Amino acid sequence: MARNGQHREAASRDVNPDHIVSVQDFSRDTLRNVIAHLKASTSFEHLVYREAELDAIWTITGFFLANELPSRRDDAVKRLHAGAQKAHDLVADRRPEAAATVLEAFL
Amino acid sequence: MLSIEENNLLTQTDPGKPAGQYFRRFWLPALLPTEVPNPDCPPVRVRLLGEDLLAFRDTKGRVGLIDEFCPHRRASLFWGRNEEWGLRCVYHGWKFDVNGTCMDMPNEPPEYGFGNKLRTTAYPTREYGGLVWTYLGPPEHEPELPKLEWARVADNQRYMSKRFQETNYLQAIEGGIDSSHSNFLHASLDAFRVTDSYVEKVKNSGTLRAKYHLLDKAPRFTVKKTDYGLVIGVRRNAEDDRYYWRLTQFLLPSHTMIPYEKGLAIHGHCWVPRDDQTCWVWTISWNPEGPLSEEEWKTIRDETFVHAQVDPVTFRPVRNKANQYLLNREKQRTANMTGIHGFASQDQAIQESMGPIVDRARERLGTSDTAIIAARRLLLQEIRDLAEGREPYTARHGDVYWVRSASLLLKRDVEFDEGSRELTKAEV
Repeated sequence: MARNGQHREAASRDVNPDHIVSVQDFSRDTLRNVIAHLKASTSFEHLVYREAELDAIWTITGFFLANELPSRRDDAVKRLHAGAQKAHDLVADRRPEAAATVLEAFL
Repeated sequence: MLSIEENNLLTQTDPGKPAGQYFRRFWLPALLPTEVPNPDCPPVRVRLLGEDLLAFRDTKGRVGLIDEFCPHRRASLFWGRNEEWGLRCVYHGWKFDVNGTCMDMPNEPPEYGFGNKLRTTAYPTREYGGLVWTYLGPPEHEPELPKLEWARVADNQRYMSKRFQETNYLQAIEGGIDSSHSNFLHASLDAFRVTDSYVEKVKNSGTLRAKYHLLDKAPRFTVKKTDYGLVIGVRRNAEDDRYYWRLTQFLLPSHTMIPYEKGLAIHGHCWVPRDDQTCWVWTISWNPEGPLSEEEWKTIRDETFVHAQVDPVTFRPVRNKANQYLLNREKQRTANMTGIHGFASQDQAIQESMGPIVDRARERLGTSDTAIIAARRLLLQEIRDLAEGREPYTARHGDVYWVRSASLLLKRDVEFDEGSRELTKAEV
């Protein structure tokens, strides 16, 4: 799986909140893409897609923390894991802009 | 992922709980008419939304659904006599009609007139679409019956079954709308491994599902909120410039439909909370164009698809948790993914394996779980709205259920709801 900094395609894509962002890693490009979609999200459907993306980031970071050998990145990934959960709960609370702000701290 | 509070809010349906109040705004399937086949026949126990009830058919043929326990000393009326317009408790002779009115109280002096003043809990019932439905909510909010297509076809165009499941209703619904599990849980080994013989079989089968599931194993999910709940669109790549779409409906509070392929029967479910730990699974197969075919009856008899054989009294499936669903490890090694016979038993086994109420704070979801996320959010929104005094729109508008699932090929630039508009209209 591509990791931080190796997945460069996402950020420059057009933002369409009706589409689900493909979350295959937790790179900055992926986060930027999710943040851009969060900021454009207004409807019930948009928020469902954003929640699914944040669930995926939370899942992938959780797998990383559980399965990878300890490294210098652990603290940062732990913070992102917690941040993804916080952003997820903000989306559930229909506050996508606030969720975007939470994720921006990880760029 | 859901918080523990959200999970509790969604899964607790006893009286007084917010989700319990929500379900008490809808007509719910309660029992099969054949469970109380004749006037004055024996009563049967019915547990719904955490309430122990008793159904009986009175002398006139009306179905009553009342509190199982006599209001006098709380003895079970299950032991009672169904006689001359009412059910009589055999302990002290108190007798109740289908409306819950006490008709007789022979152990009290008549001059006290207790009988005229006393009622037991009774809920209205309707026989509709081959089922007895009930409404457990406040009379002033009695809803419309849902205008579901399967409820309006002739009896010979429909088959329905009832089974007892040892899980909360929500994980059963989630199984019903989780399109991505069928490629695994319900797959034959040949399909899972994509063997040459399977490819050859699929080429000749003519069913769209098998063909396009083979071509694209990583579908894309789309959801749209509707008047009745959700339509879930699952998109796979097809030839040329087309997509193969499978459309599933989630109809509030707990109905689902399996994508329909023209010319075959349609299948659907209604998942009714029995209590927080168990639910009733109602499964319906119907053919809107005519009587169910011999092939469709064979599928039902052989239990290969959505129906499973059950004990006629308890409705516990013959394949159940206590006997490990008659798991056959040799069959699992050589024939299918689970070694369990039939889709219904496979679903039940895996859903019950998650425990009665799955801890959704410990899940690891991905984007293939979009439909599940959408259904939870919609139900949470509806439950919270009702708690704040906003009545559910769907309950008051039975005609919004007039829809049908679909599967179809569409050009890639066509939105699925536009392209499927005619196909998803019910016709009967």
